[in-house]
Amino acid sequence: MVEVSTPVKWLLRLLAIGYVFLLVAWPVSTIVQDAFADGVGAFFEIFQDEQVVNALALTAQVALQAVAINLVFGVGISLLLVRYEFPGKRVLSALIDLPMSVSPVVVGLSLLLVYNGRDGWFGKTLEEWGVQIIFSGTGMIMATCFVALPLVIREVVPVLTEIGDDQEQAARSLGANARQTFLRITLPSIKWAVVYGVVLSLARSLGEFGAVKVVSGNVANQTQTATLVVEKQYQSFDQTGAYGVSFVLAFVSVVCIVVVSLLRPKEHKK
Amino acid sequence: MSIEVTNVTKKYGDFHALDDVSVSLPTGQLTALLGPSGGGKSTLLRIIAGLDTADSGTVAIEGTNATKLPPQKRNVGFVFQHYAVFKHMTVAKNVAFGLEIRKTPKAEVKRRVGELLELVHLSQFADRLPSQLSGGQRQRMALARALAVEPTVLLLDEPFGALDAKVRKELREWLRRLHDEVHVTTVFVTHDQEEAMEVADEIVVINQGRVEQVGSPDELYDEPANDFVMGFLGEVTRLGPVRLRPHDVDVSVEPGRAGSFPGRITRLLRVGFEVRLQVELDPEVASGAEPVSVVLPRSHARGLDLELGSRVWLTAAVGAVTVPAMVAV
Repeated sequence: MVEVSTPVKWLLRLLAIGYVFLLVAWPVSTIVQDAFADGVGAFFEIFQDEQVVNALALTAQVALQAVAINLVFGVGISLLLVRYEFPGKRVLSALIDLPMSVSPVVVGLSLLLVYNGRDGWFGKTLEEWGVQIIFSGTGMIMATCFVALPLVIREVVPVLTEIGDDQEQAARSLGANARQTFLRITLPSIKWAVVYGVVLSLARSLGEFGAVKVVSGNVANQTQTATLVVEKQYQSFDQTGAYGVSFVLAFVSVVCIVVVSLLRPKEHKK
Repeated sequence: MSIEVTNVTKKYGDFHALDDVSVSLPTGQLTALLGPSGGGKSTLLRIIAGLDTADSGTVAIEGTNATKLPPQKRNVGFVFQHYAVFKHMTVAKNVAFGLEIRKTPKAEVKRRVGELLELVHLSQFADRLPSQLSGGQRQRMALARALAVEPTVLLLDEPFGALDAKVRKELREWLRRLHDEVHVTTVFVTHDQEEAMEVADEIVVINQGRVEQVGSPDELYDEPANDFVMGFLGEVTRLGPVRLRPHDVDVSVEPGRAGSFPGRITRLLRVGFEVRLQVELDPEVASGAEPVSVVLPRSHARGLDLELGSRVWLTAAVGAVTVPAMVAV
């Protein structure tokens, strides 16, 4: 490591901490303050509101399904990217990063263009088969999957690359077939990357707003998720409600990340 | 014949890793595939194991055509240069892996694992993780793991390449003894001629994707088929029209022997029990030729009273292995 003089070291630490504090810690902590501004009782009152409860339940449903789908496809695509050579591999890899750079609102609009029932490229056909995507849970799950797609893959790919395929080849030479090799060798090796990717996806899916707003139609008690309720309450001057739901969302995400960082074995211990 | 490789060719782009290779490896023996790095020997081993596929040609193991079989159906044990240990499993679990895949009863697995750990002297480490073992121990564990499934053939890819010199030497002696105990047909890849000579019953010399020669260590050393084999199996020097081993050059301090080459000692180096000389031949017998390397025992050198600058006369020793030198480069 490069030696840095003590004052510089402290200055750098101060800068980093100050930056994170002003940008993240302070604003998030004010949510907590405002959520409980009128006392704990007022905070729990928001759960009397049917609209809020329905929205939270819907958010949980959409997020869990999106995470489950992203888990399967994420691990699959990671294996494909690391273990196999095929034409178009770099294009695929670049496409996976697209959700990171495209605004979720744009994601929502593009899904709308393809899948809406009236003049969507694919939506009309699906509608004839009786499948509605836009303004339904399916569309919301799709939008959430889209925005959270890279999170599992970007966690798993570096780990897969690092462990190499020596262990997998050894397992094959010892008689294991592809499924046994994956379950007994590959999966245990990438376990923590998968868990971390899932938690990040979950946190991201719970908080998704833009894409879901466009495809859901934002109908109260039906297609209104927690983030949409926050916006609606804030706009109708229901501050306590808005901060309360915000707090629940932030709390769940923070708990996820804390639990994982406690569970995750210390790095560099190999 | 245990392994029969016929007309195997493997290309990576334009590069011929293996060029129409045919070789038969006998049952129950310890065979070394010897050659320089990038010569194709590891590729051949991986094709035998099914970890790589040949572009053309066939591989038969114990009489069955294995060319199209996936690795898990070939019943071969494979040991990798970098051990390929299962990091998340204990030593005992690593060794048990192949048996558990085969749905062997638990009691039987336990007994076999115990035996194998005994065989590789790792019994007291059964419950440790591989990360707590040294390199040599890890490789012994990998060997036990490969032997657990009672493979028809055991294949080792530069098994001692990642170990330090002392452990390497210990392990190769140990491998020889192990083979004498277990008698499984074993093929190992190495680029270290000393390792091959010391351990193997038979050596296959592979260079640039071709088999240069097959034979016992003595045959290869005493009757090298060509210049490459001779050069690869030991040091070689050139004396007039022939190439020969430096220790096969006789040194005399006075002229008189027929066909001797006069010269002057330009370098003299004592290494342990031997003395290495560089002799520059007189220009009239060999103008522009490289200096001749000579190795002789220290006692012999002392008897001749050799010093830097001494005049000497060199001849090829009686019975020396020689090959004609290539046309002057």
